[in-house]
Amino acid sequence: MSTPTKKSGLPYPVVLIIGVILMMGGYFISQKTHEFQEKLANQGIPLDFGLTIAVVGVLMILFPVLNSFYFKPLADAINERTHALESTFGEAETLRSEMTKMKSDYEQRLAATEAEARSQIQAQIREAQNLRQTLMAEASSKADEMVKRAQQEIEAEKQKVLGQLRREVVNLTITASERILGENMDSDKNRRLVTEFIDTVEVPR
Amino acid sequence: MDTKVARRYASALFATAQRNDVVKSVEDDLSAIAKLIENDQKFKDFILSPEVGREEKIKIAETLFSDRVTALTMQALRLILVKRREAEISNVRNEFVALRREHGSVAYIVVTSAEAMEDDQRNSLVAKLGGSLGKSVEAEFHIDPRLIGGVKVQIGDYVLDGTVRGSLRRLEEKLRRDVLMQN
Repeated sequence: MSTPTKKSGLPYPVVLIIGVILMMGGYFISQKTHEFQEKLANQGIPLDFGLTIAVVGVLMILFPVLNSFYFKPLADAINERTHALESTFGEAETLRSEMTKMKSDYEQRLAATEAEARSQIQAQIREAQNLRQTLMAEASSKADEMVKRAQQEIEAEKQKVLGQLRREVVNLTITASERILGENMDSDKNRRLVTEFIDTVEVPR
Repeated sequence: MDTKVARRYASALFATAQRNDVVKSVEDDLSAIAKLIENDQKFKDFILSPEVGREEKIKIAETLFSDRVTALTMQALRLILVKRREAEISNVRNEFVALRREHGSVAYIVVTSAEAMEDDQRNSLVAKLGGSLGKSVEAEFHIDPRLIGGVKVQIGDYVLDGTVRGSLRRLEEKLRRDVLMQN
């Protein structure tokens, strides 16, 4: 708490003396100007100059006390409250700034995370697409190979069956020819065959 | 059958027979003995039995053949039995015949026909083949109904096939070859 003299600029004893003088002088003036005051009161102006001066003197005497016990604590409280509010506002501002920064960081991290996640997802998608294409190509290749092999086997089997069929046809043809020729062969024909052989036979040298 | 052994015996026998001019007789003797071994199972079992001693075999052979074959044939037979080569008698006969044909410029042919050939056909065939070969021909004729018709002549390893079966076999081979080509 600060002293009144520091606030008013004059030492408190001086102010106290001035106050006592004004209070005493005012009281004296009030006692000596009683008629003048009644004239003013009659004219509708209830003003007592001496009392007013005395009150000013009393106020000068009491003001440091009031200042010490009322205005100063009040000002301090107000200042403290103001400081508290300023501090609170400052902290709030700091918090808000921090929050803004945190929010910005968070948003940046979130954006980075989203970008990274998006990148990873895109990479996974590309990898999956590549894998899908590879698997499809392999499956297609295997399918083509299987189809080709199956076609080759079918063709081979077909040729085999055709070959067997042709051989069977040959066998049947030869067998039937033997039977027919045997049934139609007689001594005359045999003799003609032998004669023809004798006529045409040539021995290689 | 050890043809080398038979060839050796036959060569010696043929040379001796040639010197004594008894080739034909010796060949007939050998053919008769070989035929007896081939047709008479008891004699075959006796002569080929390892349990019968060589002296006994020689004794029986002399009893059977001494007055029926030439002395040279008997001597050769005795030698064969002494050397225990009785299993080679048929081969010796075959090699002897082969040597005789070689030295006599004779071609041996085997003629197989579906039916028995008539004499004029046989003679014509032998004459034609003899003319073609430039040799005299000895022919052996067989009948095989499986040939269906025609005739087949074997000269050594060479075969002249004029049979229906042969034609069918060639046709079958051609058809099979065509079938393989199509595959």
